[in-house]
Amino acid sequence: MKKVSNFRLLMSVLKKDVQIYSRNMLYLFLTVLSLVVFVAVFWLVPDTVEEEFSFAISPSLNTLFSESKEVLIEKGFPEEVVGQLDEFEAAFEEEGLVLVEIESEEQLKQVIKGELDVYKTEEGRFILIDPDSDDERPEGASKINLDTGIAFPATFLSDAVLGEKPKVIVYADARVPEEIRGAMQGFIREMAYQLAGYELPVEFPDEELVILGEDRLGDQVSMRARMRPMIAFFIMMMETFALASLVSNEVLQRTVTALLVTPLKVWHFLLAKTIFGTALAMIQAVIILAFVGAFSATNWPLLLVIVLLGSFLFTAVAMLVGAAGRDFIGQLMFSMLFIIPLMIPSFAVLFPGSVAAWVSMLPSYPIVRMLYDVTIYGTLWEDNVFYMLYALSWVVLLYGFSLIVLKRKVTRL
Amino acid sequence: MSLKRIFKILTKDFSVGPRKPFFIWALVMPFALTFLFQVAFGSLFEPKPRLAVVDLGRSEITAAVQELEGFEVSLLENREELLEGVERHDYDAGMILAEGFDDKVKAGEKPVLELYMSGESLASNRIIIAVMAIEMIRELEGSEAPVEVETVYYGEPGLPVSIRLVPFLVFYALVMAGIWVPSSSIVEEKEKGTLTAMLVTSARVNEILAAKWLMGFLFAIFLATTTLLLNQALGPRPLDVAVVIIVAAALTTMIGLIIGIYSKTATMLFTLIKSLGMFLFIPILFYLFPDWPQWIAKLFPLYWIIEPIWAVSVMGEPLSEVWFELLVAGAITLAMIPLILLLKKRVFT
Repeated sequence: MKKVSNFRLLMSVLKKDVQIYSRNMLYLFLTVLSLVVFVAVFWLVPDTVEEEFSFAISPSLNTLFSESKEVLIEKGFPEEVVGQLDEFEAAFEEEGLVLVEIESEEQLKQVIKGELDVYKTEEGRFILIDPDSDDERPEGASKINLDTGIAFPATFLSDAVLGEKPKVIVYADARVPEEIRGAMQGFIREMAYQLAGYELPVEFPDEELVILGEDRLGDQVSMRARMRPMIAFFIMMMETFALASLVSNEVLQRTVTALLVTPLKVWHFLLAKTIFGTALAMIQAVIILAFVGAFSATNWPLLLVIVLLGSFLFTAVAMLVGAAGRDFIGQLMFSMLFIIPLMIPSFAVLFPGSVAAWVSMLPSYPIVRMLYDVTIYGTLWEDNVFYMLYALSWVVLLYGFSLIVLKRKVTRL
Repeated sequence: MSLKRIFKILTKDFSVGPRKPFFIWALVMPFALTFLFQVAFGSLFEPKPRLAVVDLGRSEITAAVQELEGFEVSLLENREELLEGVERHDYDAGMILAEGFDDKVKAGEKPVLELYMSGESLASNRIIIAVMAIEMIRELEGSEAPVEVETVYYGEPGLPVSIRLVPFLVFYALVMAGIWVPSSSIVEEKEKGTLTAMLVTSARVNEILAAKWLMGFLFAIFLATTTLLLNQALGPRPLDVAVVIIVAAALTTMIGLIIGIYSKTATMLFTLIKSLGMFLFIPILFYLFPDWPQWIAKLFPLYWIIEPIWAVSVMGEPLSEVWFELLVAGAITLAMIPLILLLKKRVFT
């Protein structure tokens, strides 16, 4: 009898797996659905980060400064001292603040109540429009959502300089978070302190020392960018169900026993499952990464290796789950026991500070970390050596364990 | 139809059910989701400025910081941990209070304030944290503010996301208990042949289906009520909430029955639930994003049960405010009965 080569034996098992997979309408449907939904969600999620805080003041800065200057000059303050008031204008121009100047307090109240809309024209002017009126929105103007406003007395600056303890009213929508209300009050108080001549009771170090890590002010990582690695990770993870089901069925229906009567050896079976599972997860992850624009001329080899490691990891999990040989629903529940903990690192990376430090011990953490660092921060090989070795260790450990468990199961059937 | 036989089948389902994976799954998921959204990841949807503090002396500021509302404050043991955390953006900012810091401030010695900002922190958070830090140091200094600040609020306080998520959690409880449990039970009995065995006895198909519906209905009422209780969302009118839940459970269980009758295998059932689940889930999104045009939600059947749940349990409105929605939900439920009678032959396939 002619001896069949290992390669042909392997290919025949792989061919059978592909056929079974393509006939399984559930997984085929879920695969296509996941790819479409993930890509659609990615492009629907905003690509910008709202990091500025808008607030209104009344009266305008011009009125606020000119009225106060007049009072101080009347009180006999020298012009150069009065001129120093202009330095306080910088307080309203801090990065992260968007200031809307409204002349009257009454209009300011109406804006905060939502009875007037504020539009900013391309020239930077602010226009107030009654939303119930027939007035048209100015062309090219963008609406500004305002929920906090400060009504200063026109002579606030001079009153503070003269120590007359002016009264300032903060108008706020009740939905404004506590920390923003507090910051508004603190901002006013500190300005009054400074005007009244109270120096800061502490020194601040240089800004370069204060900012830790790359300063991304104005260039924050958007939710869409954060979703890029997460989607690829989820796609790889989803394939655990498909492969686990495939292995589970072979065990449950004993088709593997039938296969082993042929020249096929256990290692052919295990290798075929490894190749099939890894390829299935990897192909989909690569497709999705391409659709969400993750590949660049420099990162593609690194991304492919990370995806390969991730696919291996989930194949190992799938083989472990499948070895239990449970029915459809049982296998689904059993998969979840492994999948849910492996999912946690993706949240830790997507929402920093949201989960505990032990998350970095989980096998999926280095994969998520690398996907995140490469697609968002553009890190390359040398930056990822540690996580690469870390991921590799987990893959070897889990894959080795799953091989032992599945081999035991198959040989004892 | 014999009520006695229906009750016997129901008793059998309830005695065997808790051992089944789908039953356990349905029971566990709403609890797990409540935990996940309210405890573990509750802060994800409404991020607050995160501040880490290392107190090397015994600063009064540390106690004041912990009292702050609207901030997530973490007290750390050492400087390195703080610097690493801030750089990783686990915290928006980190404050190190050196030994003797308070005394120096009180003595007017102007010590250096070690306040580190993460490069990834938002501009607005940087301002909020810096202003807050200066405010607390001013308080420590003991000087009276040379200005009077009054705050006037307009409108109603917004609902926290944890409350806006309640429809989602109740929806999940209703879907798991009302749709997943009776449909899985029917499909499992079909696959194992116990359904055919039962039909050899004096039990009729209608009685079996009535028992399955009753099982899902009671379980859905239990899970939905428990979920509302866990989320402290039973509202000021628990009896009104009970009526709404009964209507909601009746509707979802009817959907579960149809899916169970129609599905030949567990795979088919899972596919149907997955694809139909997305369609049923859409109205929930309108509660999470109230700015979207709300009329779209009315096109989906489960809107007519989620809206009354939202209005009565979360907003505390009386039943009279949602009678129309409940009427529509009841009509949808009744409209499904002829469909079930038409499909019931599939139970034998």
